[in-house]
Amino acid sequence: MTGGETETATPTLSVQGIEKKFGELQVLRGVSLDAHDGNVISMIGASGSGKSTFLRCINLLEIPDAGRLFLAGEEILLKPGRGGKMAPADRKQVDRIRARLGMVFQSFNLWSHMTILENIIEAPVHVLGQSKEEARATAYDLLAKVGIDDKADAYPASLSGGQQQRVAIARALAMTPDVLLFDEPTSALDPELVGEVLKVIRSLADEGRTMIIVTHEMKFARDVSDRVLFLHEGSIEEQGTPAEVFDTPQSPRCRQFLARG
Amino acid sequence: MDLLAFGDTGWGDELGRAMLMTLAVALTAMALGLVIGALGATAKLAGAWPVRLAARLYTTIFRGIPELLIIYLFFFGSSGGAKWVLELFFDSVGYVEVDAFIIGALAVGLISGSYSTEIFRGAAIAVPRGQVEAGMAAGMSRGLILRRILAPQALRFALPGLGNVWQLTLKDTSLIMVTGLVELMRQSYVAAGSSREPFLFYIAAAAIYLGLTSVSGAGFRRAERWAGRGTQQGAGQ
Repeated sequence: MTGGETETATPTLSVQGIEKKFGELQVLRGVSLDAHDGNVISMIGASGSGKSTFLRCINLLEIPDAGRLFLAGEEILLKPGRGGKMAPADRKQVDRIRARLGMVFQSFNLWSHMTILENIIEAPVHVLGQSKEEARATAYDLLAKVGIDDKADAYPASLSGGQQQRVAIARALAMTPDVLLFDEPTSALDPELVGEVLKVIRSLADEGRTMIIVTHEMKFARDVSDRVLFLHEGSIEEQGTPAEVFDTPQSPRCRQFLARG
Repeated sequence: MDLLAFGDTGWGDELGRAMLMTLAVALTAMALGLVIGALGATAKLAGAWPVRLAARLYTTIFRGIPELLIIYLFFFGSSGGAKWVLELFFDSVGYVEVDAFIIGALAVGLISGSYSTEIFRGAAIAVPRGQVEAGMAAGMSRGLILRRILAPQALRFALPGLGNVWQLTLKDTSLIMVTGLVELMRQSYVAAGSSREPFLFYIAAAAIYLGLTSVSGAGFRRAERWAGRGTQQGAGQ
């Protein structure tokens, strides 16, 4: 849905100048990112470079100290709270925005007291107000899509890590989010299970979903991304197309990082 | 054995009624304690500092004073306390007597609540942070997360501890015999004195207490299995 008059369409997600400190440690020093509809953006960088923190700032699991966030042009309002830290100005707005940003965590975080099916229909029913029948029908479709259709009534603990992460992806998809955020989705998996999860994420990229992926899988990032961002000590050190970043990196630090990988 | 028979000849029906009174006090006190415990834990975890301080004072005091002493304080303080409250609204009221059941249930309930507070607090902390974050990321409100995720998961960690609190609460009700309320302990004491067979009646009371705690213990184990669904302990049992 681009407005024909404007030169550039409003980005689906626009993040501007995010800063974040944990105590004395400056984790993010003004990171910005624009994602348009259908973009797949990968964020790479060493541990501690701030890439996960940045992703968590997007849906306000961490509240940035400075910076602005827009989802489809709507600004998520922050205000100064206690002790000079920022806080959401309107908690309801934050909940509403979060419902439109699907998140997949490194450690899956499936709700352990609910079955797979219950995990998937929980937020559609209680946040979006779908009927249980409707949510269940969608859930079965999504489970088939991620290849777990025979485990709907099992509990998460009885599934392998790869299966749990695929369920977590289905859970995020059930909310029909505008943007999917992946926080190192394969880092907690045994090596032989990484492939099945990457395959699912790849198929989502092929469908044209808007995604931001924090990952250590360089080959995967190169294959699926439109754009790659390399973070170093809380700043974007290098960014461009996968070919630019991986084949002809300008920054010595990025070259060094890729050589190690 | 005739002494334990039901009807006019024995103390069976009196002991039965006393057992029901014990259960009534214990259940009331436990329910009160659970409500106080949930509020106390919320105060300790999410309250502003004066609220946190009040909750800490409460648990420190009620866990730090012998139960019998607390019951005495309530018993001897209740009349004056109730008089003071009533005189805020009415001119002069004479001697006020507070019902022994209310004194007992309140005193034991506050003791029970001080332990439940700590159990709920620990249980809420034990729920992995990621479980709550997954709810936040899905756009769930604080109330929804509390009700649908935090509470059911915290219950798993709380139930074994609450089982202990229930047993303590049930046994603490025996101390309110000092208020004259005819519960199981008081009735056994009266029967023992009147029949001059103290050992018989105290062993009978012991058996009844043990019966109550065993049956409720089995109930708690069932509840733990239910709350633990989806975990290794809960699966396949």
